[in-house]
Amino acid sequence: MSAPDRLRITGGTVYDPANGVDGETRDVCIEGGRIVERLPAGVPTLDAKGMVVMPGGVDIHAHFASSSCNHARRLAPDEHAADPAPAPALSDGAGPPRSGTGGTVPSTFTTGYRYAGLGYTTAFDAAVAPLTARHSHSELDDTPCVDGGFFVLMGNDEYLLRQIEAGERDRARDYAAWLLRATAAYAIKIVNPGGVEAWKTGQRNVTGLDDPIGGRAVTPRAILETLADAANALRLPHPVHIHCNNLGVAGNYTTTLASMETLAGRRAHFTHLQFHCYGGGGGQPWSSAAAPVIEYVNAHPEVSSDVGQVMFGPAMTITADAPVEYLLHKSSGRRWTNIDIELETGCGIVPLTYKDKAAVSALQWAVGLELFLLSADPWRVVLSTDHPNGGSFLSYPALIQLLMDRSVRDEQLKRVNPKLLAGSALADGLAREYTLGEIAIITRAGPARLLGLAHKGHLGAGADADVTIYSRDPDLAKMFSTPRYVIKAGAVIVEEGQLRRAPAGRRLHVAPGYDDAVLRDLRRHFDRYSTVSFENYPVRDVPGEPLAIG
Amino acid sequence: MSPGSAIAPVTCLGCGCGCDDLTIRVSDGRIAEVAPPCPLARAWFGDGTVPTMVLRAGRPVPLEAALAEAAGLLGAARGRALVLLAPDISTQAYQAALTLADVLRATVDTATSEPAAAGLLAAQRRGRAAATLGEVRNRADVLLFWAVDPAPGYPRYLSRYALEPVGTHVPGGRAGRTVISVAIGADRGPAGADLALALAPEEEIAALSVMRAVALGNTLGELPAPLVPVAQAAARLVKARYAVVVHDAEPGAEPMRDPYRAEGLIALAQALNGPTRAALSSLRAGGNRSGAEAVLTWQTGYPMAVTYRQGFPQYVPASRGLAWAVAGGAAAVLVVGAAASLGAGLNDAAGRTPVVVVGPRASEAPFPARVAIDTGVAGIHEGGTAYRMDDVPLPLRPPLSGARSAAETLAALLAAVRSRGGQA
Repeated sequence: MSAPDRLRITGGTVYDPANGVDGETRDVCIEGGRIVERLPAGVPTLDAKGMVVMPGGVDIHAHFASSSCNHARRLAPDEHAADPAPAPALSDGAGPPRSGTGGTVPSTFTTGYRYAGLGYTTAFDAAVAPLTARHSHSELDDTPCVDGGFFVLMGNDEYLLRQIEAGERDRARDYAAWLLRATAAYAIKIVNPGGVEAWKTGQRNVTGLDDPIGGRAVTPRAILETLADAANALRLPHPVHIHCNNLGVAGNYTTTLASMETLAGRRAHFTHLQFHCYGGGGGQPWSSAAAPVIEYVNAHPEVSSDVGQVMFGPAMTITADAPVEYLLHKSSGRRWTNIDIELETGCGIVPLTYKDKAAVSALQWAVGLELFLLSADPWRVVLSTDHPNGGSFLSYPALIQLLMDRSVRDEQLKRVNPKLLAGSALADGLAREYTLGEIAIITRAGPARLLGLAHKGHLGAGADADVTIYSRDPDLAKMFSTPRYVIKAGAVIVEEGQLRRAPAGRRLHVAPGYDDAVLRDLRRHFDRYSTVSFENYPVRDVPGEPLAIG
Repeated sequence: MSPGSAIAPVTCLGCGCGCDDLTIRVSDGRIAEVAPPCPLARAWFGDGTVPTMVLRAGRPVPLEAALAEAAGLLGAARGRALVLLAPDISTQAYQAALTLADVLRATVDTATSEPAAAGLLAAQRRGRAAATLGEVRNRADVLLFWAVDPAPGYPRYLSRYALEPVGTHVPGGRAGRTVISVAIGADRGPAGADLALALAPEEEIAALSVMRAVALGNTLGELPAPLVPVAQAAARLVKARYAVVVHDAEPGAEPMRDPYRAEGLIALAQALNGPTRAALSSLRAGGNRSGAEAVLTWQTGYPMAVTYRQGFPQYVPASRGLAWAVAGGAAAVLVVGAAASLGAGLNDAAGRTPVVVVGPRASEAPFPARVAIDTGVAGIHEGGTAYRMDDVPLPLRPPLSGARSAAETLAALLAAVRSRGGQA
């Protein structure tokens, strides 16, 4: 099939929750890369009778196009060797089809192809150091098939900390706006607020929201408040994206709840929540604390989250939360990369394997599922594995199967180490099974809405014509891992389960306004402490116009 | 400065420091002055003139004819071609070169030196603890220079990054930093160190082991006399707020001193992160060598020595590209970048294997080339990006224009190869 300008998808069972469509047989019409209400008779058709039609998948939180990912790739030659990825046989594309390698952190072209093969057409890298934004844009240039962008790290930024300490919150907001523009990023990311800066000093980490950071009059709480307010004041499409303090620590759910309460009433997205919902500590064994956290989320509509599910198997932990990675290195004995990034953030990497026979891994797996199954609002608790931290994005179909089929879930539960599952809601029996409509919410409609992408995640008129069509299969993991057709911006890129086209993705970024008065002070800061000239810092020539704000 | 137009701030690729604060004065289409007056920057920019030849078998031909000849040679060698990523071209040119290599199912390698390669491999086995240069500047209060004085090969490393500048956590600049210099044989550290040690080459690995043991808090037995001050130096590192270990990952053309040096230094820097914070600063050569490794990594998963022969990237670090070509394995060679960096290394191969060169001063390659296409130099004539030794990407602000673009020439060569059926 060629790539017609107009296409009618006929006879499919459509799941388009953003438009209230939940399993209705109806046509989907495409013209000029967009969804349209109707088309005249005689246009090319794609017969989807008996198939499931959804908007293209939207990954709200993954790590696939960053300097940190490239450091991780270097750390995994064994994984690449075990997972070669020959070039696909494309009928056309933006360039020649490219080969690559897989593993937990695939090479760029392979990443784009595999996302497309999974039915995902939009993805965001969740943590990019501003200094290396130029690198991320280069990787995105080489990541076809998905529209995408990245969130830029600010929660340990030297200039920002100075403004907070000086009580200059308006200037901090202007700086955040400048930094988003300078890096052509999409959203503000906070990782372990203040903890990464503490890691670089003798303090090594922070543990509470009111801990002073490196001896300064700045606290994690102040960072959270300042940047949440900045994102909302700037009317960014996505609120501040928060990786809380104390990731992976027993008893950390109290920090998570305290962080949410600090921002009560403000829009905020709490990411990979699973890693922040542990009880125990203080001499008590680890336990699940998913219930109290998800209860808070359920009751507070201004809060959203993605789960960060752990899936058993190999993973690569990549995070700006460098102190956590040091502890993981010491406890696991695995290879460890740490890169301190001047004036901004850090980077830690440790390869890891989650084993169902390991008690902590099993607890993490259960906590993630509990968050999904106890969530009252799938629009605000969406799917992620924090790829590749909790598992590869290629494991999404297996996760969907766990959510939709209790019998599969229960079978797996029988095999995991039960040592830390006492009191776990999952172990006590959670009967809920996600519907296809709910899956459509947590994998596309919900993430698109949380990201403020009005043209993504739905099939209403005017939406981007990103569509995924699945053949029904009783094996849900198989069904979701091999879509029959994937349509990207109106072009059929996957046909009969095979990738046929690999168009370049569209770059998604924002350019909020700010008061120019910040520039003079900022230039002084650069001249004194930065090793990159102020004029050379902003990225140039980023493809595509920034999204409108407001 | 003399009259003429001034371009600033310009990024210099004369070494891996990637200083991006240069002012270049251009007069009559030539570079007249470079400030600040770094000797390597002066040598890198020269007067900016480069040849603009297009040669086939040493004779001038139109570009299209050269591209057709090159495409024919490389296409015929599909599966047995070698693409050598030489320095002095932009990241974007490397991206284009790798597309070509993939299409040709070629073997690809970089100009990564053997010592640097040893470091890359060690880091793959262990990981590493590193930092961008600004962290060295802003935080390092104890610096250990291991058998290197950066002054000759990295002239502004000390003044711009490591020693003299005021930092966020080192408000006193040099006065707030302790410098430990370790000489290994004739390889000496910087002058003016606060503590200077001298070791024989055969003592090097033992010394690194002792330092790591101190960092780990292990109990040491009685040490041989030469290693006693080594343990004392390690104790000073442990007391640092932020220690930085500096070494030269590319110590010239001389053979590698000790293949275990890189691994020992990586292990030491990692171990120091127990009692304090620490980073290893690996001095790398310029010309965007780090950029070649970065692009290779994101496109293939591997930083050097890759073959696409089977239709996908495979890692062959034990069989470096240039040696493979010299041994007669390659049916054709494409050199992308400054051929001079390869020296006469291809002389033997070029006698029996066709060599195509696309890059700065291709027409002056120190070996016979079947096709030579001169291009501009990254950051002098061509924009895009390049990578500093610490993997920080920088924009290039070329002060001159008019030279042929390497990235565009490689794209044209790719089109020529594909039009001749060079793609599966």
